[in-house]
Amino acid sequence: MSTQLATTLVPVAPGPPEPSPSVDPSPPAATRAGRRRQRRPDAPPPVQPRPPRPPAPDWAAVTVAALTVLALLAGWFGLQVVAFGGLSEVRAQQVLHADLREQLAAQTAPTGGVVDPGVPVALLSIPTLGLQQVVVEGTSSGDLMSGPGHRRDTVLPGQAGVSIVYGRAVAYGAPFRAVPDLREGDGITVTTAQGEFVYRVDRVRREGDPLPPAPADGGGRLTLVTAEGVGALAAISPTTTVYVDATLVGDAATGPAGRPAAVPESEKAFGRDGSVLPVLALRLQALLLAVCGAVVLRRRLPARATWVIAAPVLVALTWLVTDAAVQLLPNLL
Amino acid sequence: MTRRQGAGVPPRRGPRPSAARRLHAALTLAATTAVVALPMLGQLPAQAAAAEAPAPEYTATRTVVREHLEPDGTVTVADARDVTVTVDRTQSLRGRERIQVSWSGARPSAGRAVNPYGVDGMNQEYPVVVLQCRGLDDPDLDPSEQISPETCWTTTYLQRYSAVSPGLAVWRHDRFADPADRADQDGVAEWPEECARLPGSILSQRVLPFRAASGTSYASCDDATIAPESAIDAALPAAEVAAFTNLDGTGEVQFEVRTETENESLGCSSEVPCSLVVIPIMGVSCMDSDAACREEGDFEPGSSNFTNLGVDPAVSPRLWWTESNWRNRFSVPLTFALPPDACDVLDQRAPVDMFGSELLNQASLQWAPAYCLRADRFKFRHNRMSESAALRLLGTGGGTAAFVSQSAASSSVPLGYAPVAVTGFAISYVVDLPDNGGELGRLRLTPRLLAKLLTQSYPASNDARAHEGLRDNPLSLNLDPEFTELNPGLSMTAEEARATLLSLSESSDVVTAVTEYIAADEEAAQFIAGTPDPWGMVVNPSYRGMSLPRDEWPLQDTWVRPSQQECESQIQTPYLSLVAAPVSSLRKIAEAVLDGWPNVQTKCTRSTANDPWKIGRVDRQGYGSRFMLGVVSLGDADRYGLRTAELRTAGTGAAATFVAPSAPAMAAALDAASQTGAHAPFTIAQEDLSPAAYPGTMIVHVAARVSGLEITRARQVAQFIRTSTTEGQVPGPGNGELPGGYLPIGPTGPTAPLLASAEAVAAAIEAQAGPPTPAVSTPLPGAGTTTPAARPPSAGPVASAPDAGPVTVEGLPADDTGPTPVVASGTTVSDRARAAGVALPAAAGVALAGAVGAPALWAWSTRRRLV
Repeated sequence: MSTQLATTLVPVAPGPPEPSPSVDPSPPAATRAGRRRQRRPDAPPPVQPRPPRPPAPDWAAVTVAALTVLALLAGWFGLQVVAFGGLSEVRAQQVLHADLREQLAAQTAPTGGVVDPGVPVALLSIPTLGLQQVVVEGTSSGDLMSGPGHRRDTVLPGQAGVSIVYGRAVAYGAPFRAVPDLREGDGITVTTAQGEFVYRVDRVRREGDPLPPAPADGGGRLTLVTAEGVGALAAISPTTTVYVDATLVGDAATGPAGRPAAVPESEKAFGRDGSVLPVLALRLQALLLAVCGAVVLRRRLPARATWVIAAPVLVALTWLVTDAAVQLLPNLL
Repeated sequence: MTRRQGAGVPPRRGPRPSAARRLHAALTLAATTAVVALPMLGQLPAQAAAAEAPAPEYTATRTVVREHLEPDGTVTVADARDVTVTVDRTQSLRGRERIQVSWSGARPSAGRAVNPYGVDGMNQEYPVVVLQCRGLDDPDLDPSEQISPETCWTTTYLQRYSAVSPGLAVWRHDRFADPADRADQDGVAEWPEECARLPGSILSQRVLPFRAASGTSYASCDDATIAPESAIDAALPAAEVAAFTNLDGTGEVQFEVRTETENESLGCSSEVPCSLVVIPIMGVSCMDSDAACREEGDFEPGSSNFTNLGVDPAVSPRLWWTESNWRNRFSVPLTFALPPDACDVLDQRAPVDMFGSELLNQASLQWAPAYCLRADRFKFRHNRMSESAALRLLGTGGGTAAFVSQSAASSSVPLGYAPVAVTGFAISYVVDLPDNGGELGRLRLTPRLLAKLLTQSYPASNDARAHEGLRDNPLSLNLDPEFTELNPGLSMTAEEARATLLSLSESSDVVTAVTEYIAADEEAAQFIAGTPDPWGMVVNPSYRGMSLPRDEWPLQDTWVRPSQQECESQIQTPYLSLVAAPVSSLRKIAEAVLDGWPNVQTKCTRSTANDPWKIGRVDRQGYGSRFMLGVVSLGDADRYGLRTAELRTAGTGAAATFVAPSAPAMAAALDAASQTGAHAPFTIAQEDLSPAAYPGTMIVHVAARVSGLEITRARQVAQFIRTSTTEGQVPGPGNGELPGGYLPIGPTGPTAPLLASAEAVAAAIEAQAGPPTPAVSTPLPGAGTTTPAARPPSAGPVASAPDAGPVTVEGLPADDTGPTPVVASGTTVSDRARAAGVALPAAAGVALAGAVGAPALWAWSTRRRLV
């Protein structure tokens, strides 16, 4: 495809379609009849190359180029969100896990109050799903790229009250893809600075299910929130939230006061983070500059050299652009 | 110095010779002092007040003497007096509360100091020293629990440490002192290391360490060895006082007590008893004929010592700790109330917050322990905030109950208002009389004077005469002819603090009440409309035609004072707003008046010449020239012993009637109280007030929803209303009792309708059955049906809480709902986002379309065409 594209893009002096000189201009009908008849007894006649395709008209060349670029971008987007994003999440989890381990050992992990978004607060593991994830503080679309996020206006897991954790269902590793499969009685273990806490799943709660009662005095609850879809494309099109309630087994801890009283819209379920727009604009500009640079290079350098030089830059910038663009999408995706 | 002098009581002259007459005199004096020491609520009128005045909690009489030992072994009585000391309140005291100490029969003082407090009061003769000391004066107690000069608080080391030339060391001739105390410092075995000791031949030194509650002993011989709370410019002004005795032998002073919260080293609390020590200074009794010791003073009785000249040490309060003076003491045992945070410490339950009126501040301070210390009640907590904000919280479901005086302007939820306290606002003042005449005891104000102060119509300084319209106005209140006619004999010096009334910056029902009082007066209303007063003073044009009443007083003047000063030319702030500088709470105003520290923000400071200028609060006013006014609550005024102004209620000129806050005057104001319907608040119409009624009277209600409130909460609110209107209306200083400054609500008399209404509203709130029919005070009839009881507790009413939706959606529970688990009701509502569902399929579709379409289009457009 790319060679076709290259030929299309390289200006070639178009000429009128001419018949090849080797083609016999004798009446075609007789030739065909003669060939069929003569093939077996005689040596095979030289294969007649098919006439070259006519060059595409301008409008078609432009449309094909545009379609190709669109397909590349969309394909890359989908690929990164579903596949490469998972890699980046795994990488982020490793870093966060190391951070959290260190903080737990040094007893500097947060226990409450105002915690900066993006820092690890807890280690969440669900044995029945084989899930182990570091929970970060904050539930904006960007925070959830590195793993499940703890909603900032709720108590930390393990503390008395209701703690809410969001996780992506499809993109960026989809840490909570399997969470709706949990069943009553499944265990959830959460490790925070205040110790290890075990929760038992009460139920998976969807539209129309009764709300759970407020936790008992001094009790704790963990609510996992993710999204799911319906129909044939359910795997990639989550449209509704689904909740999993789990009750703390044993005593809850208490944390320092001063939790934020509310979170912005961008940190609620299906919130989108519009504040990323300036970043996105800057990254798109950088991508445009890089493409222009690649075109200029192509005129001066051989194709292979250009490829080697430009491809990593373009891939890196596309990656960054996609990361920013995803933050404009709902956070539970 | 007087709250109100007992008029018509014959002054005492000299000691009484016979015992019978002495007894008679003591009784007369007790009666006199009872009248003199009337608490604030008993100021007006005299007969009613005398009937209601509670008996003083401490009265004692004893003979104090100064007697010298002659060389021949005989004893000469230089002076002997029978002194009676009375203290109005001694039980359940709170931090910074001021108690009234009065005495009679003492030796008239001389050389009166301008400022009698702390070290400034030392240069006087024969004053009465009043101190607060830790411990009790009971010889049976352990020595560490007894008072001694070492446990008595003084703000500076100069009141404890003496270093004078040996000829003036009067304490070394004290007849009653221990021989060790009379000795030269060279012989003192336990001389503190940190204090320099000089040879006794050069200087006689005497150290009186301060023993703190923690057991630490502070040598107190210079600034480095004193207790941490002690300093010449301490955060709180000095409380210990060397008070002046009048020529008739009487005197009184308001003494500010300090608790552990204000003074940790002194450490008085509900568990550590303290004593008030009153020492009438008679002079040191000498053991020999040392001339300095036998001095009798240089000043005439009743004279002033303006220039703070030195006085004879033998008769000065400087030697209050000598045994001769100390043995003449009266010690008054004091007990202290639980600290304000007692409930937070003693009760681990989650508090039930009630928001609103600061008028209830002092009452809720005493009420709270009566709830949190009982298992069958709840942990009541009063959060002060503006009444309108508290009502908004009720609407959104964020508050359980609100304390308000006015009805909500509009309400989407049905509310019931139960009256729980009758109190009000007062204009408090601290004004010193010129020529060291003590404090002004009676100040009269008219609504127009209040309007002038609030509208910033006094220019405050000569530069501000450039302000448009203020050129011919008097500079400040005390120069206004209208004021001087009512309050003659005050200082005529203009000062910025004398041109303003410290008021509230926030929205408050108190501001509504003050402005209603102004608006109801024809003169004041015309003045604001633009009519000059009879002396030609006009309103500040920025406030001309302002509509009253209003719940928030705006700072409308934007005129910036042109100034050559570097500071003011750099910081361009409206000048008159700096002079007014309203604050956010009534408590701050009360403390400003208590300290004599106006909030005028016109002082330019900077730390170094390189730092930027800052504009800050002016200094505390000096004793003798204090003059400031502030709007305070009656509860605070009573607690802190603030003087309150009489407000004009009727008539003009000489025929005008002025009324001070008092129980009868507040009861009279209730005649004008009315409610628009069942469960509605009682409001007092200013125009219906009788001339004898105090116009600052306000009724505080508990407002809560009569439907849609969670049942546990509803029961708690009903319990609160019932408790606070019954046992909470018993006057007294104890837990759960009603402090001064509030008119008790009872089943009879003018408060009976309030009690009946409170009981009805309590029942309605407990029933949660919705508003009464017909609903008069609730604009939304049937609002109760929009909040079905089946809704989850967290959701609140749909109508008033549009953003309650996400709460349900997230499944967040309500605030802690107490021990009874609430059965959940309601169903989960999922969030939906089309974008989330569409994004990836769309991307995949576009990619697929491109991947298929581009080659296809290419192939199609370059197909070989048949020629």
